Amino acid sequence: MKKLQIIGIIIIAVAVGAIFVSLKNTSTYANFTEASENPDHEYHVVGKLDKSVEQIYNPTINPDEFTFSMTDNNAKTKRVVLHKSKPQDFDKSEQIVLIGKMKGDEFHANDILMKCPSKYSDNKIQTN
Amino acid sequence: MQLINQIGERIWLGSLGNALVVLSFVAALLSFIAYLFSSKDIAFKKLASLAFSVHAISVIGIIATLFFMLFNHYFEYQYAFQHSSKTMNMKFIFSCFWEGQEGSFLIWTFWNVLLGLILRYQLKSTEWQIPVMAIFALVQVFLASMILGVYIFDYKIGSNPFLLLREHSDYKNLPFLQIQNYLQKIDGRGLNPLLMNYWMTIHPPTLFLGFASTLVPFVFAIAGLWKKNYTKWQVLALPWTFFGVLILGVGVLMGGAWAYEALSFGGFWAWDPVENSSLVPWLVLVGAGHTMLINKNKGGSLFTTHLLSIASFLLVLYSTFLTRSGVLGSASVHAFTDLGMTGQLVLYVLTFIFISVFLLINDKLIKVSYAVVSILILFFSILYGYKKIILLLWMAANIVLTAYCYKKDFPKQKNEEELYSREFWMFLGSLVLVISALVITYFTSIPVLNKLFATQYAPPKVMFYNDWMLPFAIIIIALVAASQFLKYKKTNVKSFLKSILRPLFLAIAIGLCGAIPLYFIEISGQYSWYHKIGFTLLLIASIFAVFANAAYWAAILKGNMKKAGASVAHIGFALLIIGALISMSKKVTLSKNTAQRKVSGLGKDFDDNKSILLTLGDTLPMGPYLVSYRKKERIGIDVYFEVDYFSPDENGKPKYNFTLKPHVQDNPRMGKAPEPDTKHYLNRDIYTHVTYADLNIDTIANKSNAFGNAKNYVGHMGDTIFSSNALIIIDSLKSNLTRENYLKSDSLIEITALLRAKNVNGETFYARPKYVIQNSIAIPKEDSISALGLKFVFWKINPEEGSVEITMSEKLNNTRDFIVMEAHVFPFINILWIGCLVMAFGTGISILERIRILRMKHD
Repeated sequence: MKKLQIIGIIIIAVAVGAIFVSLKNTSTYANFTEASENPDHEYHVVGKLDKSVEQIYNPTINPDEFTFSMTDNNAKTKRVVLHKSKPQDFDKSEQIVLIGKMKGDEFHANDILMKCPSKYSDNKIQTN
Repeated sequence: MQLINQIGERIWLGSLGNALVVLSFVAALLSFIAYLFSSKDIAFKKLASLAFSVHAISVIGIIATLFFMLFNHYFEYQYAFQHSSKTMNMKFIFSCFWEGQEGSFLIWTFWNVLLGLILRYQLKSTEWQIPVMAIFALVQVFLASMILGVYIFDYKIGSNPFLLLREHSDYKNLPFLQIQNYLQKIDGRGLNPLLMNYWMTIHPPTLFLGFASTLVPFVFAIAGLWKKNYTKWQVLALPWTFFGVLILGVGVLMGGAWAYEALSFGGFWAWDPVENSSLVPWLVLVGAGHTMLINKNKGGSLFTTHLLSIASFLLVLYSTFLTRSGVLGSASVHAFTDLGMTGQLVLYVLTFIFISVFLLINDKLIKVSYAVVSILILFFSILYGYKKIILLLWMAANIVLTAYCYKKDFPKQKNEEELYSREFWMFLGSLVLVISALVITYFTSIPVLNKLFATQYAPPKVMFYNDWMLPFAIIIIALVAASQFLKYKKTNVKSFLKSILRPLFLAIAIGLCGAIPLYFIEISGQYSWYHKIGFTLLLIASIFAVFANAAYWAAILKGNMKKAGASVAHIGFALLIIGALISMSKKVTLSKNTAQRKVSGLGKDFDDNKSILLTLGDTLPMGPYLVSYRKKERIGIDVYFEVDYFSPDENGKPKYNFTLKPHVQDNPRMGKAPEPDTKHYLNRDIYTHVTYADLNIDTIANKSNAFGNAKNYVGHMGDTIFSSNALIIIDSLKSNLTRENYLKSDSLIEITALLRAKNVNGETFYARPKYVIQNSIAIPKEDSISALGLKFVFWKINPEEGSVEITMSEKLNNTRDFIVMEAHVFPFINILWIGCLVMAFGTGISILERIRILRMKHD
């Protein structure tokens, strides 16, 4: 088993090494303040939609640009430019996870995950 | 909880169901204990076997009762209420059954029971029956407890499917339940409409049969550790293992096909945690099957076989924990609710790790102290906390103990494998498969690791996984290609090289012919050198694997179909990889938008070229097609968007080609869910889905031909005004104010604003509203662009600021209905599906062959 053990150990060592290297570039969860400190790094920012600020979606100009404001978990609100079409049911979202980078005072997201009210929201029972 | 029965409640059904649930649990427990005793005293065997039969019958009874409840709309029960309805099509009754967690545990238990009965019959005259069935019964004890729904010291064990609606914590406070005859008035909430398709009928039972079949190699391996007989079980387990490989593989791929056909992930594999956690046991099981082959043909790799057989089932348990405990949170698209069984699921995984390590240990003293210490720290952590640290320490101790026992007690082969032997490379292949599985597990477990180590890592993206798996895929597929030509023990190097040389050169030639135009000549610069070289190598290796296995079958096996299993399965696997590689790496987005602003400055992660805006009735170029959004139609809760595709005919005139109807489901439970529509060609798929649309049908008809409110714009030369369908630029101002006119005192002063409008198709229109001053009175003269439905009034000049004021009004029906759509081409994705079928077919042949050989030995 000697040769095999050596090859096995080499593959595992390379894989573990690569995992550690890649962890540095892996996106982490953060808030807007942390994202501003490191504008070249991609972050996942969790927060809630700020409904008091106008949302702009003008698909005739650019169907892949949607602007809104989000308040992160530290209660800091930033303007967000999502480089995707406006998600359906966006206004119903309870929680938003943005994936992107901070550019100046705007957060530019290339993807978005939304948590919508779960199945227990429609506990209205149809009675006939 | 009130005890008064309301009118019409059929309490007997729940009582029957619960009696069977308890019976199935108790019978499994009894069977386990009796099998344990019968390993010492054979007299207990009859009881054990009887108890297992009782367990099997009661599981079938539970399933029958639950079906009866769903069929007859017993909505007083939460399961029927939550998962079925009167109006629902009865062909989805199976889907209702396993939509909920309790039902899916039941289907899993059912497959286990079935496999257990077959196994009991198969092993009836062997020494393996007792240990194998003992472990089997123990697993059934745990599975049966998943639907117990009893409380022990305030801790809920399992989730019971026979709970009345008014007993269920989510529903019991609903006011209508207080009405005595509520049952006459309610209808169930029904199956989630997103799951009303045939995939939901076939995918879950297949996947659970796959999960169930990982149990067989597991119980054999544990029995092997228990009886210290590490070799003999492997021949018996071999067909079962490949049965698991076949069914679990088909189940996983079905999930991919479902995602591709009906969900808008934008592909067939999204490295979603749920997908990963069923792929990983499969990879490990494939590894286990191959090390068993080594053992059967040559001996050796005993420890690895045990380790992998056990790991595959443990990974199934871990996957159950990952997907059903709520630990993934927002990291997965698969919505699983937390039934409060996290602790229970963790405990199950740990119990089976404990049993494996416990049985591995030979030394009595170590064995007893391991058991005592494990149980003590379990109680300690329950009572005093520090669960995370204790868990980590315990896991580390397990690894150390396993390594120690392997070194000390486990039989090892004396001499090393030859470099030119099949077992060497086959073992290496299994090793690489398992390491790739570990890497996937590691990244999938990031949410769990965050909890354990309080880190903040985000789950990685699809490309990240693809990049990681690329080198693994190259190595595995190259081994798949070459290893068959090697013989067990020792191979003549010359004849080996001779036989692989031709397929290898052919593969390199074809691979390069394909890869150079695919990855090196294209100019988009999408791929780095890592990708270009990686993709090329993978393509060459996969083609090599196809040719080499075909050559092996033709030349060495002489086209014998019975022995073709491995070759055919390997060809299928290679085709699958080719299809996946080409369709993913050469995926083309047709729906480039007409955006003015480019975001390329933000880096390559940002892409504004994904979606196209289609206005009702307009025809736009999209890739090689002209597309026209023609119609919107609502059928039930689905809104269909009909988009026609035209291609140029021989004269270059657009000719109708086909229609795609992507739709959006206005799902009352999950919100709006887009579902794609795909045009299938032999060599490519055109895959479209709507990302943004107005689902209201009436809005189109209600819009009139009148102009809406005018909006005032203050602007300078060169400024832009946006309307809903065009950009309008204030081009210039012209005046008739020549020298002569100026001299005439009563002259008419006329200033014309030239407005240049550009619509989305790039066509230009002009409007010339005038500002007229006659006898010192300003009279604006409006102008309109009828093609765009725009009207302009030039009504003021501010000489100090050098600005003009213009109002613009738009026709109300200008804001025509539109959709935002994504369209992609997946080239050669059919190779992927063909590969899946071929792989399943090949695996099937080899299972039959293994069973035949096993039978021959018996006779």
